Amino acid sequence: MNKIPEAGFIFPAYTIGTVTQMDLVRYAGASGDFNPIHNDTEYAREAGLGGTIAHGMLIKAYMGRFLLQHFPLSALSSFSSKFKAMTKPGETIEIHGTVKKKDAVNGILTLSIEARNQAGETKATAEAEIRI
Amino acid sequence: MALSKESIGKQLSTFPFTIERVKVKEFLSAIGETSPIFHDPQAAQQAGFRDTPIPPTFQTSALFWGYPDFWKDMQSMGIDIKRLLHLKEEYTYHQTLYPGDALQCRVTVADIKSGKMDMVTFETVFLREGTPAITALMTIVVPPEASHE
Repeated sequence: MNKIPEAGFIFPAYTIGTVTQMDLVRYAGASGDFNPIHNDTEYAREAGLGGTIAHGMLIKAYMGRFLLQHFPLSALSSFSSKFKAMTKPGETIEIHGTVKKKDAVNGILTLSIEARNQAGETKATAEAEIRI
Repeated sequence: MALSKESIGKQLSTFPFTIERVKVKEFLSAIGETSPIFHDPQAAQQAGFRDTPIPPTFQTSALFWGYPDFWKDMQSMGIDIKRLLHLKEEYTYHQTLYPGDALQCRVTVADIKSGKMDMVTFETVFLREGTPAITALMTIVVPPEASHE
């Protein structure tokens, strides 16, 4: 980003797309997180989830993609997320971000990020600190 | 089940993990990250990196692939792994990591909150040549059993 945005700036929404069961299988293999709630429908039903759910960390990875649309990786100082609701295959994810705080003295920009589904339900929130 | 707070501060595991280029590629593909700096060493060098860096959440692969006993160890602590949910994941970045880096990863129990909901925070420090590159805090929660009111 050439010009550093001010507090309150709203970034354009970043569309990820529809999460599929195949995405969960691929993420399980890539991350090594084989908790069956993500890849075994029967197990996930028995666990009371009504079917498989996405890894929270896949949603966080999507929020990371959003960050890198606007800032270089080397500027990223911290990235903390909280998982709010389960994402099921078939849901469509979009990432929203705003500048929460601009600390020009210490050179830190704090962003608030949210992953939402097509109905506007918040799946995860995150805060990232960027060195400016 | 109430968790014992005795485990707070306990080191669960320390394990080596070498970042394999193909593993990073697999991760990039799984998350749909297509930025050239992660795929093309030349593009990475033009952006000031010595090679293609790892993306911001790749270290989760080091934890699960490098420490497959993590689930068993959580169970030994009394955590109901069938019902646990991931609540928070917090990263602090100190250094950029690259394929070929040989990491030493140290997992400790950072905090336990026991009550209606059991909550446990694990800290993982990913070290390269003895220096922390990334610090991760993972908090999991075990929600109360359905009460069938």
